[in-house]
Order: sequence, then structure tokens, then C-alpha cells
Amino acid sequence: MTVTFPSVPAAPRPSSRRARTLRVLTRRPGRVVGLGIIVLFALLAAFGPLLYPGTIAVDPEAVYAPPSAEHWLGTDFAGSDVLQEVVVGARYVLLTAAVAALVAAAVGTLVGLVAGFRRGLADSGLMRLTDFVLTLPGLPLLIVLSTLWSFGSAFQMGLVLGATGWGGVARAVRAQTLSLRERGFLEAARGLGLPQRHILLRELLPNIAPYVAMNLLLSVIGFIGAEVALFFLGVVPFSSENWGVMLNQAVFSGGVMSSPEALTYLLAPLTCILLITLGIVLFMDAVDELFNPRLRERS
Amino acid sequence: MKGFLLRLAAKLAAGLVMVFTVATFTFFLVHALPGNPGDAAYEGYVLGGMPPELARAKVSVVYGFTSHEPLVDQYLGYLGQLLHGNLGVSISYSGVPVADVIRAAVPWTVLPVLSGLLLSFLVGCTAGVVAALRRNSRSGSLLSLSGSLMAGVPSFVLALLLAFLFHTLWNVLPYGDTSDVTIAPGFTAEYLGSVATHAVLPVATYALLGYGGWLLTMKSSVASVLGDDFILAAELRGIAPATRMRYVGRNAVLPLFTTLALSVGHMFAGSVLIEDVFDYPGLGNLLLKSIGNRDYPLMGGAFLLITVTIVVANILAELLYSVIDPRVRR
Repeated sequence: MTVTFPSVPAAPRPSSRRARTLRVLTRRPGRVVGLGIIVLFALLAAFGPLLYPGTIAVDPEAVYAPPSAEHWLGTDFAGSDVLQEVVVGARYVLLTAAVAALVAAAVGTLVGLVAGFRRGLADSGLMRLTDFVLTLPGLPLLIVLSTLWSFGSAFQMGLVLGATGWGGVARAVRAQTLSLRERGFLEAARGLGLPQRHILLRELLPNIAPYVAMNLLLSVIGFIGAEVALFFLGVVPFSSENWGVMLNQAVFSGGVMSSPEALTYLLAPLTCILLITLGIVLFMDAVDELFNPRLRERS
Repeated sequence: MKGFLLRLAAKLAAGLVMVFTVATFTFFLVHALPGNPGDAAYEGYVLGGMPPELARAKVSVVYGFTSHEPLVDQYLGYLGQLLHGNLGVSISYSGVPVADVIRAAVPWTVLPVLSGLLLSFLVGCTAGVVAALRRNSRSGSLLSLSGSLMAGVPSFVLALLLAFLFHTLWNVLPYGDTSDVTIAPGFTAEYLGSVATHAVLPVATYALLGYGGWLLTMKSSVASVLGDDFILAAELRGIAPATRMRYVGRNAVLPLFTTLALSVGHMFAGSVLIEDVFDYPGLGNLLLKSIGNRDYPLMGGAFLLITVTIVVANILAELLYSVIDPRVRR
């Protein structure tokens, strides 16, 4: 490491930033694979249902058919094409997870920023609330709630999951805000008498955004698990085609557990969930290096 | 010592608030349900030819409150019953007190959760030490990747995969229920063996689920202890690597015990899914079945007990932390 005189650091030019991003991304092949998986599923959610217009066809002649040229992943207990079900189901799953992650990130960032910046009574009150949300038994709570309110639509489900899942983000944002508070540029901003809104939105938020983005990406995994679980358990009415409904029908009405020939039927939705998990975990490695200064440019 | 007591009292208070909130939530939830189940049961009894007083008494026994009193009185009555440990009477287990139904289910959740947790803690921590020591090599980063992946996999995905693999495709392990139904329960080797083989898949699921989290936490804990001054001092004095590793291990594992107590609570909450997949008659399964059967007293009781477990685990974590780490006690 070379020591240089402190000088005003030049803002990185867009092209060099893009080059650095590309370099970090391609340093390990796994990161590109991770990004590829994420992009693939995003495309699937956006355009997948367009590939298969109309309702899912049922073919009673071909129940639990093995994979063939006609049915790439075989058929289910009713003779429907498994590949079609998986592709069509992706939109609901990913849309819900995205809504939930955005809600959780927005609430968590707001709570964490205010708690960390204001300190004092607001801080302890908000942190009590955060602790409360963090200790709530999430899944049992959602199951009990489902008796009163069938939050089956993608936006309602996303809202419910986000509203119960922002605790972790709030904690992380608060810790980050507390450490940023003591930094020079914030002291300067306060000394200049800049309005609080400016300090929160223009000084603090841009520095916290990367951490929020990382949390957002990671939380998608958890939200996909939770929503699919609720459908799998059968506590939310089957209002749409999605992987959770597939799994529920496979296990509880299709008798998959006693029919080895249903291999692809059970494995297709499970593999999708595993692939998304793998994609996000692999890609996170790159995001971590981009945003974590201690890992930056080490090798 | 005083600070510790204060923190403990704060945890205790927060826990009580939690339990109280959950109890209140379930009470008003049952009331807000379309066609108040208490009313519905009452109408049913009256239509069945039961005199109104008797029907009212019966509803009050089942739900812990009668639906013809003002809401506030009902609520206070319900809380009073809870304080006496009376959770009402189950509907689907016709007339058995909810507390008894839950008591019968608790061991089937506690035993798999605890054994799975212990297993995952041992394996995960060992793997975490290895991952930290080899963090700059390929095997180390592969190990970390396995941890991140396992920490992210949803529990039911893992449970279904294990069940399908080891029961449906390759029939080596039993699936569903706690033991072979043809074997009479009792302290016989045959019965205990059957219980043990039926527990293998659920326990393995719990263990694999925890593995990733322990690996990652232990790895970062070991990495931070390795940078501590006392490790450098030990190295400079020429203390043998094995001894040094013991120092590192002991100090790195300390903060994990708090998480261990906390994760008992999380696993209880997660038992709903795993017990549903394996049709294991534990607490989580009870909660789910009670909703299917519209057995609201049982639902409230199971939910409350899961909450209490989490709260107790929280308090236990606080206690454990200060017992293990003397720096916190002051």
C-alpha cells in the first residue's frame, strides 16, 4: 500500500466504474453463472406465461409420463406438462418475493435510518419494535393469520411477508448509520447547517444503499421460501399457478412420495428454488466485493 | 452484576409483552373470524335441542369465554383462564383439554429439534474452523459456498428432497409417523428401534438446515479471534499449534452459544413445515391440523406455546451469554 497526500478524491468516471464492476464480476466464473441464473429467472417471470397462453392442458392418457420430446419434464398426476407448470408458476413466485423484498427494504431502511440518526428515545423505541418483529414466530403467525385473511394475491402476500420481515434490514441499516454518523463528511454537513432532510437523503442514504441492496437480494431467498411454504402447507387458497401449489398437489394429492416415476414432477419446482438460491448466493459474492471496501482490489 | 440483572429484567418484560400480544391477537382473531366459531358452536348446540344455559356453559368451557357477554368481559375471562394454565378444550379431540393435547405433542417436537440442533452445531462449527483456516484456498471457499447455500435452502425443500431420495427412490428409511404402527409402544427394543429409524429423516433435515448458519458464524468468529493479540502473543512465545488452536476454538465458540439458544426458538417455529412433510405428530403439525379442523382453542394454544418457547429461548440466551463470558457480567 502506498501512502499519498490526502486530496479530494475524484469521482470515479462512469466508464472506469463499469470496468471495475465487470472485472469484479468476471474474476470468478461462479459470479457470472449466478448473475446468469438470476437474469434467466427474471426473464422467465416476465415472459414465461406468454409462452403458454391459455390454461394448462390436462391429458388423462399421459399420467406421470416420463420426459419425452413432447413433455420435456414429463407430466404430473393429472397429465399436465410439468415444464409448462414450472414456467407459468415462476411469475407469481418471483413477483411476490420482489414485492416483499421491496416492502421490507423500505420499512427497514426508514426505521434503521431514523433510529440510528436520531438516537435517544426514538432509537430505543424503534429498536424495541424491531426486536419484537425479529422474535415473532414468523411462519406460525402467517399460518394463524391465514384463517382470517386469505392473502393469496401476489401483492397482498408480498405486503404481508414484507411487513413481518423487515427486522434484519432495520438492524443492519441502524448499525451502518451509527458508524457513518461519526465520519467526517457527516460532521461537515452538520457543521454547515444543512437541513436534516438533506443529510438523511443526500448524505446518509447513498452510503447505506449498497447494504440495503445486498440485504434485499438475500432476503429474496427467504421470501421465496416463505411464500412457497404457505402454499405448500395449503393454508392459503390456491388463487394462482405457482410452485407451492404444485408441491402441495404433488405431495398431498398426487402421492409423489410413493411413486418414484414422479421424479421430475417433484424435482422441477424444488430445483427451481435451489437454482435461485444458488444464483443469488454466487452473485452475492461479487456484490460483496464491489461494496465492501476491505475486500476491494485485494488480489 | 447489576447491569446483567437489568438486562435480564428487560428481556423478561419484553417476553411477557410478546406472550401477552400473541394471546390478545389470537383472542381477537378468533372473534373476527367470519361466523364467530363460539357463536356457531352455540347455535349448533341449541339447534341440536340443548337448553340455552347448558349450551352457553359448554361453549364457555371449550373456548374459555361465552360469546354472549360483552367483549371486554370475555377478553378478561380468557386472560384469567390463561393465567391458570387453562387453554380451553379441544374441539377435534372431542373434549380433551388443549393443554393435554399439547403436552402429548411436545416431546415429538423437542427431541428431533434438540438432537438435530446438536448435530448441526457440532458438524457446522467443525466445518467453520476448517473454512476459516483455509479461507484463502479453493477447498475453503468451496466449504463456505456450501454453507451459504445450505443456509439459504428453504426447510421444506430439503425435507422433501431427503424424503424422496431415501424413501421413494432408494427405500432405506421409513417415512411418516413416529414408529411402525404394527409395533406396540413401550420400552421394548423393537419399538425404540422403530422410533429411532423414523426419526432419522426429520433429525437429518433439522441438522442440515442448521449446518450452513453455524459454518458461516463459526468461520467469521474464528477469523476474528485469529487476528487477536493474544493469539499472536502465543505464537511468538512458541506455543504449539495444537494448543493455540485450542485457544482459538474456545474463544471463537463463545459467542455462538447465544445463537444456539436463540435457534431453538427458530427451529420450533420452523417445525411446522418439517413435521408436515414427515407427518410427525409434534407441535407444528398440531398447529396446522387445528386450522384444517377449525379447532381454534387448539390453534391458539399451539401458537401460544411456540411463542413461549421462543421467548424462553431468548431469555436463556441472555443468561447463557453472561455465564459463559465473564466480561458481560460486570
